[in-house]
Amino acid sequence: MMRTMPTPAITTVALVGNPNCGKTTLFNALTGLRQKVGNYPGVTVEKKEGIVSSVNGRDITLLDLPGTYSLIASSPDEQVVADVLLGSLKNTPVPDAVICVVDASNLERNLYLVSQIIDHGLPTIVALNMMDVAEQSGVRIDVRHLSDALGVPVIPTVAKKNKGTDDLRAALLAGPAPSSRAMQWTLPETVQRELDELSGMLSAAHKYRSVVAHHTALLLLSSPAAPDEGRTDISPEIRAHVRQDHEKLDFLGIDRYSVFIEARYKWIKQVCAYASSPSLSTGASLSDRVDAVLTHKFWGVLIFFALMSVMFQMIFSWAELPMDLIGHGFDAVSARVGSVIPPGDVHDLIVNGVISGVGAVVMFLPQILLLFFFLSILEDSGYMSRAAYVMDRIMSSVGLHGKSFIPMLSSFACAIPGIMATRTIEHPKDRLVTILVSPLMSCSARLPVYALMIAAFIPQYTLLGVVSLPGVVLISLYALGLVAALAMAWTLKKTFLKGTSLPFLMELPPYKMPSLKSTAIHMWERGFIFLKKAGTIILGISIVLWFLATYPKTENATPSERLAQSFVGRAGKFIEPAIKPLGFDWKIGIGLLSSLLQREVFVSTMGTIYNIQDDSAGSMREAMQRDVNPDTGKPVFTALTAICIMVYYVLAMQCLSTLVVVRRETNSWKWPAFQFFYMSALAYAVTFGVYRAGLMLGY
Amino acid sequence: MKTMMKNLTDVPQGTRVRVRHLQSLPELCSRLRELGFCEDAVVRCVVNGSRQMICEVCNTRIGMHHSIARTILVSSYE
Repeated sequence: MMRTMPTPAITTVALVGNPNCGKTTLFNALTGLRQKVGNYPGVTVEKKEGIVSSVNGRDITLLDLPGTYSLIASSPDEQVVADVLLGSLKNTPVPDAVICVVDASNLERNLYLVSQIIDHGLPTIVALNMMDVAEQSGVRIDVRHLSDALGVPVIPTVAKKNKGTDDLRAALLAGPAPSSRAMQWTLPETVQRELDELSGMLSAAHKYRSVVAHHTALLLLSSPAAPDEGRTDISPEIRAHVRQDHEKLDFLGIDRYSVFIEARYKWIKQVCAYASSPSLSTGASLSDRVDAVLTHKFWGVLIFFALMSVMFQMIFSWAELPMDLIGHGFDAVSARVGSVIPPGDVHDLIVNGVISGVGAVVMFLPQILLLFFFLSILEDSGYMSRAAYVMDRIMSSVGLHGKSFIPMLSSFACAIPGIMATRTIEHPKDRLVTILVSPLMSCSARLPVYALMIAAFIPQYTLLGVVSLPGVVLISLYALGLVAALAMAWTLKKTFLKGTSLPFLMELPPYKMPSLKSTAIHMWERGFIFLKKAGTIILGISIVLWFLATYPKTENATPSERLAQSFVGRAGKFIEPAIKPLGFDWKIGIGLLSSLLQREVFVSTMGTIYNIQDDSAGSMREAMQRDVNPDTGKPVFTALTAICIMVYYVLAMQCLSTLVVVRRETNSWKWPAFQFFYMSALAYAVTFGVYRAGLMLGY
Repeated sequence: MKTMMKNLTDVPQGTRVRVRHLQSLPELCSRLRELGFCEDAVVRCVVNGSRQMICEVCNTRIGMHHSIARTILVSSYE
């Protein structure tokens, strides 16, 4: 018997719903928190919290949980939802109430999760979202009837227009009660009896709360096999009882896997028939025609690669002017500050260390913003999941499926959200392989390294009168990362992560016009993170590097000789024999060492080194172009050296944050250690090959 | 009269059919049902390619490999 008394004080509320039901948009509308809104299943892979503006002096914490179709979890992010609602997630209290977000245009499927939620006995409010889309599709819903049938308040909302959020907030603060209509779906008598009996046994033996006991009993009865000996949380008696139940139900010809789902859907159909009229839409829509082209086996792949090419060409060409402006701005600041501070160590520290180091990285802000602009558009428009669909053919050839492509595509921005997005992958080995190869995709931290090398050493040719050589080189670097990731995935799946993959099965969200506001917020957030990093970590490293590149001081020596005798100079010379086969000298070695934790530090390091070494006027690029190896008399940097540096950075794992996240996601240091060593070895081997091939070809 | 059943892969683009039976591993059947492919559900084939297809069920588009679609038995929608 369910409680019917209102909950007196609600402090924590969970926001749950199917993927793509507008849950994150509603979360933003209710809390005012700025957060990325995704358009493909599983973008919200972390638990997020916000405060619903208080009324009567009370604050309510809202938990934004990952999108899920069911509380019977089949992937790690779905498990989070079940764990939070059952109170089995550490450091997360059982919520006092649940807001279940429902896509009004897709009522029947969304009510499946609602029925599971209300069975949990938590006070629940249904937010009937996307009412405008439902009306456009011809779906009519009687909100009062729906509320009667579910036994909970139902509030119509259009989250993106902020409609209905005040009513939702008021319903929340009024204190919702548990549904009086929980467990309305009817199971065959035998199944119901076994479910109740097992639930009672679990409560008695393990002191489970009734809702946990019921959920566990349902899981045990519908699972393919009885819990094995290794499962210590279930007593041997209960394991034996479950085995008997399975045998009994199988003998009676009852499909244990479908009986619960079908019983729920049967009830849901009755609810839908009572509270809604179905869509009357017929015939092929514009969306059908767009899907036919974008997911075509030939045109779809062609369009995907064309889009990627245009994106990277634009990133390079559109960013040129603002980058030059920022560069000139830093030069002007450097000259102004340099003229104010008298010559000496403080002057050198500010001009050569701080301004050159930080300025060298900040210059690439326009490219970072453009990259996130394009990725945000792809995601918000609904194209990202179509790209996964199209790429499934290629992904399956290496043993993965299209779903793994979304984390890999996200890794173009940053490997960390990419790795976290792997939580939507059901198969553990596929997830691990995706985690291990995603950092090979070129992230935004590599972009400053590529941009510096391309701008300084790749000639500005235009090929076929349309595409520029620098743009082609940039695309090639991204392609190299993709090819390396696919090759590694194939190797891993053929060796010690053998296993069959689940075939492609994925929801494709409706196409929609990307929100400029959402895109702008996303760009602002990412730009802010980049600038914050430049103003903290990179500033700190630049100061330390200036010190190490200036001391110990050598009297009566040229700037180049002084640098060679400094601490970093000696460190660079120490590793030079190891990197010489790659065409790198000791100064590049300093860059490789200093950027072990973060790739973009390579650029600030070059900024600091070349400002200390080269006193003549001109940019860092020009100083690098002028630099000559005193032993050979040849330039330190050639087009071949630049290509080798870029190839090395495509393949090497130079990011501590990524390794920490991999540790967290795999729950072991074994995999990040493996990842670091395989990527470093791969980077060394391929760069060596490219350098040797370049020399043989006469470069 | 006995209902004629066929695989979902055999459904031409733009056609509506009714799900009759799922014949796959229990976990996959459960996931398909949770996505809306329950017995009696109406499915519309949006795109049917050589290896994959896009179907619309409960007003949502689902992309799936033919190996999954072959496990969904359907009959004509009347």
